[in-house]
Amino acid sequence: MMSIKLNPQELRNSDGIQKVCEKIASEEENVEKQLETLLARQCHLEAKLRSVTKALPNLQIVKTDAQQLSQMIAHTSTLAENVSAKVRKLDDARSRVSECQQRVHDLLDLQLCSEGVKLALQEEDYEKGAAHVHRFLSMDQTLLRQTADDVQQDCTAVTNSFSLLHKAAELLQTEVTSRFDEAVRADDLASVERFFKIFPLLGLQDQGLSKFSIFLCSKLQETARKNLKSALETRSADKRASVIYADTLTLLFEGIARIIEIHQPLIESYYGPGRLLTVVNALQEECDRQSKLVMNEFRKHRQLDSALAQIADWLRNASSSASSSNLSGAATAQQNRTDPKNLDLLLGELTIMHARAEMYVRFIRRRVQNDVEVGVPAEITRELLMDKLETMLRSSGLCHSMQALLGNYLQLEHYFMAESVKKAVSMDQLEDNLQIQQTSSMVDDVFFIVRKCIRRAISSSSLDGVCAVLNNACSLLEADYCSVLRSQLRQGYMSGYLDLTQAYNALQSSLQQGRLQASDSEKARLKFLAYLNNADVSTEYIATLRLSLGEEMAAALPGMTDRDRAKLESCLSGMGGVTASLRALVEYGMSQLSASAIKPRVSPWVDAFLNVSHILTEEEFSGYEANEPFVRNLVANLDSLLSSFKPSLTPTNYDTLVSILATEVTHQMEKVIAKSSFNRLGGLVLDKEVRVLVGYLTNATSWSIRDKFARLTQIATVLNLERASEISDYWSSEPGAIAWRLTSAEIRHFMTLRTDFRSEDIKRIKL
Amino acid sequence: MLESRSAVLKLMQNQACKDRCIDRFPPPFSRQFTPYRQHDFSSAVREVCSSPRQPLSGLKISKAIFLGDVAVGKTSLVNRYCHKVFDRNYKATIGVDFEVERFDIIKIPFNLQIWDTAGQERFKCIASSYYRGAQVVAVLFDLSNMYSLSHCAQWLEEALACNTLQPIIFLIGTKRDLLSSSAYKHVEEKAACLAKQLGAEYWAVSSRTGDGVHELFQRMAALAFDMSVLRDLNTLNTTVSIGSQPLSVKPTQKKENFKCNGLHCQ
Ligand SMILES: Nc1nc2c(ncn2[C@@H]2O[C@H](COP(=O)(O)OP(=O)(O)OP(=O)(O)O)[C@@H](O)[C@H]2O)c(=O)[nH]1
Ligand SMILES: [Mg+2]
Repeated sequence: MMSIKLNPQELRNSDGIQKVCEKIASEEENVEKQLETLLARQCHLEAKLRSVTKALPNLQIVKTDAQQLSQMIAHTSTLAENVSAKVRKLDDARSRVSECQQRVHDLLDLQLCSEGVKLALQEEDYEKGAAHVHRFLSMDQTLLRQTADDVQQDCTAVTNSFSLLHKAAELLQTEVTSRFDEAVRADDLASVERFFKIFPLLGLQDQGLSKFSIFLCSKLQETARKNLKSALETRSADKRASVIYADTLTLLFEGIARIIEIHQPLIESYYGPGRLLTVVNALQEECDRQSKLVMNEFRKHRQLDSALAQIADWLRNASSSASSSNLSGAATAQQNRTDPKNLDLLLGELTIMHARAEMYVRFIRRRVQNDVEVGVPAEITRELLMDKLETMLRSSGLCHSMQALLGNYLQLEHYFMAESVKKAVSMDQLEDNLQIQQTSSMVDDVFFIVRKCIRRAISSSSLDGVCAVLNNACSLLEADYCSVLRSQLRQGYMSGYLDLTQAYNALQSSLQQGRLQASDSEKARLKFLAYLNNADVSTEYIATLRLSLGEEMAAALPGMTDRDRAKLESCLSGMGGVTASLRALVEYGMSQLSASAIKPRVSPWVDAFLNVSHILTEEEFSGYEANEPFVRNLVANLDSLLSSFKPSLTPTNYDTLVSILATEVTHQMEKVIAKSSFNRLGGLVLDKEVRVLVGYLTNATSWSIRDKFARLTQIATVLNLERASEISDYWSSEPGAIAWRLTSAEIRHFMTLRTDFRSEDIKRIKL
Repeated sequence: MLESRSAVLKLMQNQACKDRCIDRFPPPFSRQFTPYRQHDFSSAVREVCSSPRQPLSGLKISKAIFLGDVAVGKTSLVNRYCHKVFDRNYKATIGVDFEVERFDIIKIPFNLQIWDTAGQERFKCIASSYYRGAQVVAVLFDLSNMYSLSHCAQWLEEALACNTLQPIIFLIGTKRDLLSSSAYKHVEEKAACLAKQLGAEYWAVSSRTGDGVHELFQRMAALAFDMSVLRDLNTLNTTVSIGSQPLSVKPTQKKENFKCNGLHCQ
């Protein structure tokens, strides 16, 4: 405990001694404290010791118990080991016994089999013979020989039986094979099936399947030939003549489907499931050969190649004169071109062929899938087999020729669509009265054609085909169709008549005078409006088309993956581009209309504002208020202008017109107001007049155009103030206050138009 | 297929993945082999994209088409970039395949639609219907097969015939890994020369090793984005004065015609 080391050096003098003494004292204090705490714990420790002493006898008991338990467990474990070793031995013995039994059985059966085979062969009972061979083949021959030795029997009997059975098996093989071939030659279906069932008993699954496949193919070939022959003999008057090759192809596919339907159960029960792919492979090869024959005849008789050559020419011309391929300049040039109408039937037949092939492929895929799912337990093997099928299908002649056929179809369809649209444009007709028919004939015709082509593509069941036709349709509409509309609208709406009523009257009178043709400018004007409507109606047609195609596709191709859907969607969205082009066209046409028929007309009407004084006496005011001559005239003029256009424009176009008119009127009103001076009463009248004008125009349309009048209304408010200072009441930043469209400078400017406002007052206003 | 995401899903993301964010203008394969000389996004584009109320409406989408002979590696290139996979086995594309890649370019969401067409002749009709309206035309050839290079001009010509607006053009040599560097130098000389003739930017990549693939697509997206925003700004400005002009605006961007420097071109 003594932690102080006495250093003799320190004890030399009294100072040192003193220091050491102090140190010792403090140390003593420390020790005392420690002792106290230890003593304080004594009581606690004693209590603990007491409880430990109490527990001690119990611990003794636990210990002896534990020892006993451990002994018992050790004992049990040795016991168990002994027992289990015995059980293992027993198991071994039992399995050997049953193996032995099996071998004895085998030996006995071997005897039976070798005798049975002999008899069966003599009686030509191949099933029985094969069953014996099958039994024999399931035995382990080397083991049997050993067993024979082991039981000290003479091994020769067994060996004899073996060689006998081997011979019998060989004999049966050749016999069954030749019988099968014979049955095939004799077209004896029952015997074919009979021997087909025997192959697997002889361990000849592959051979049996391949022989049977060859047989099925020959049957297929036979009927296909017959079908093609009768197709070629079909008279052109026959109802099915126009789709006879599609029919023939369909018969081929149906034939294969039937073969699979009929024989799959047979194959499954005698060869086991999972074997269908082998047969399908063989059938596909025959299908490739036969479909090629049909396709060749189809190409020849439908003169497909010459049609394609013509179209290739046409395409070359179209792309070489790409910029000048204006649809409206159609009729003149190439006359000896195929009328698109003549392609109609051919196009139909092409799509049917493609759709049938798709259906056939789907059928095959489904059947093999089912078969594999039942017969192949391992998923990896299943996938491998399905991959094999896909590779086979993808590289099959049928798929290749269908891909080529789809390509041909797309070329023809492209031509059909472009030329039909061109024709519709060249035959465009316009009612002399737009009130009966607001668009010209080509809108309905063009969209009818486009829709027809896309629907036809859908009927081919090819997503890529549909997408391609959609893409072509969008190009055609956006480039060619829009440019026809544009070139008409570019000519503008020639003015000359004051309004349409006059144009109609002139038209009527020229008709009455025996001039059957309306004058060119009258016609041009009507055509302009009709084309403006064409563009507007086209946007609606596109919206409907897009919607309905999305649904039709979902119904026609139910197996679409997410990726397919995304592909289709992005092709459909190409129609958005067409709509945007059409909208721009309408806007362009409207600006033309506004420049020639609205601005020049509105201007004199509004200018009349300048002819009257707006500094009014009380008397003049009451007179003016009674008739409101300016605004009544203006509204009457606007009304006759609008009502002359209303029946000739589509609702949307009419609303656009009203909105343009509103912009123009407010714009010009602002100008004439800026040129006038007002007193209090003049301002009051103006405010009223603006209300009437705004009321009229907002009621003229279903669109909300009130916003267009905000500036004008605010100008009227400014000019209608009682006192100049009153403006501060309106000009406030509080919520709910007027959202001013006029700048403070503009407000000041308009206020100077009030002759009764002093300029100092105006200057003094804080805005 | 860790990275395989469906096209629809990609469209629905509200942010692009990290490796699809582009803030700095990606460089070309080589400054020598490109007609696109800009070192940054166009200043008008930078300006409009950094302004808080940008007038560009909707999500920007550009369409890129991949063309070239059979088996030059179009699908492999697209799959390497979009799905981070490479398959040694050739599986011909049927018709046309479709992918969408979502980017964030200088913080603006941008989608690149990739149309991977089939090189086989019998799919020409399907593939060619997608040519119109392509903002990017990528013509591919196999660096180890000079025959495929000789067809590139034809592929490009057909694609350009369908477009009124000049697209951004890439000439891409594939399978770089199959060539020694000396053999490659030889091919590069020829290919770069053709690229000049065609007004295309030249790249050499390997889908097997991934060499150059990421850089190529970054560059493609950035150039397409820049052009597409510029065009939008153009139409915004032209719609005002539309009355006096034909509606389709020819590109203001000039096609740089630069000569081959002493190399022999066929
Ligand atoms: N070594 C190597 N092989 C490549 C590379 N890219 C593609 N290939 C191989 O080239 C073959 C064809 O590739 P694809 O990408 O399918 O060719 P494609 O151009 O899409 O062909 P189509 O769809 O028929 O037009 C495949 O076997 C690929 O493995 C590469 O960078 N290096
Ligand atoms: Mg491919």
